[in-house]
Amino acid sequence: MDEDTDDILNNIIDDDDDANIQMTPAELIQKMEEIWINEKFAPELLPHEQEIVDLVLSQISAMEDNVETLPSADFKKGFYQLEIDRIRFVVTSYLRHRLEKIETYVLHVLKEDEEREEAYLSEAEQQFALKYKEALEEHFDNATMFYPGLPFEDWKSNFVRPNMNSFVFLKAKSNVEGVVVDRGQGDDNEIVDIKAGSQMLISYKGVSDLIKKGDLRLI
Amino acid sequence: MDPEEVEFLGEKHLVSIVPSFTSESVHLIQGDYGPFRAGLPIRVPLWVAVNLKQQKRCRIQPPEWMDVDTLELIKTDEKLSRVFTKMPSEFYMVEVKQLLGCASDDIPRADEIRTIVKDIWDIRMSKLRSSIDLLVKNHEMYAAVDNLTMMEINSMRPLLPHALDHIYRMKTFQPNVGSQSQTMSFSTHSRVSTSFQS
Repeated sequence: MDEDTDDILNNIIDDDDDANIQMTPAELIQKMEEIWINEKFAPELLPHEQEIVDLVLSQISAMEDNVETLPSADFKKGFYQLEIDRIRFVVTSYLRHRLEKIETYVLHVLKEDEEREEAYLSEAEQQFALKYKEALEEHFDNATMFYPGLPFEDWKSNFVRPNMNSFVFLKAKSNVEGVVVDRGQGDDNEIVDIKAGSQMLISYKGVSDLIKKGDLRLI
Repeated sequence: MDPEEVEFLGEKHLVSIVPSFTSESVHLIQGDYGPFRAGLPIRVPLWVAVNLKQQKRCRIQPPEWMDVDTLELIKTDEKLSRVFTKMPSEFYMVEVKQLLGCASDDIPRADEIRTIVKDIWDIRMSKLRSSIDLLVKNHEMYAAVDNLTMMEINSMRPLLPHALDHIYRMKTFQPNVGSQSQTMSFSTHSRVSTSFQS
């Protein structure tokens, strides 16, 4: 029974032709947690990691099928279920944070995504964002329609942008050099080097590229 | 971030248990643990250990650093040092809370351990407060926070990043003609949201 579990888990990783990510299930879950925390603390929407999410979800459903076949008197069944719940929490929290950001910054996100070649939104998220934008427009138009010709602030040109200067805690996975820290008073910019394994509190603006590349992670 | 979420992350840490049952290995997605032999110690994640203990199927062995003498040493080090010393475990608060919560009978001198860990926490917290005081007074824009565990960093959220954000805004404030002082408008036509996540 347990050898089958192992086989099934390995097969799912190997047979996935679309993902050129070859990692063990343990590494996959570790990466999922990292993405979760990055998305949680970053002020802007990060590039989507739909492949990782799909892999994790397929792992969960494979494990769920397995758990059903186990005899329910076996107390170890509880552990499989517990682990499934833990992983599912991480995935849902990650997706919820992304949706929250899309909803708050809907105009900004859609505009940025058009200009970017590699979209930060996955297809499902794109559809959600478009529909949400239309619903918002309809709602505002209906709400202000009570008196024609009433001047109101054009909300569509007045975006809500995420605050790129907000401060984040980060941990360096490899040595980074030349992070620019804006001291805010004129052109007094400082350049900081960060050693691998050290932790820093710093403005998000200077490190956003490195986080997206993966040299740093938020904590 | 809630303290419970920090606990969630800390629960993945491995801890030693002595199971009172025998069974073959458990193949979790995150790794295989086992086989379990009654009486032989084995390392499992903290959440597995707590669960087994609650079902009364194992005894938990305290980690090496969780005894009074080691903790006393750490506490003295922390008192004497001006910077933060490296803690024996990245999630010492989580482990102490979970293990002493469910397995205080397995851990010798549990109450003393609890007091010492609380003392260490208080010392580190007061160091943190004074260094934040310095950080804000000197209008520094970044800080190294090595050797701080996640629980301690989390205790400063959302206050510290938000405060630094306000300092930065005050530094870069450029009054526009005809702008309201409320909306802190920059020269582009867009509204910047305040820190959005804790």
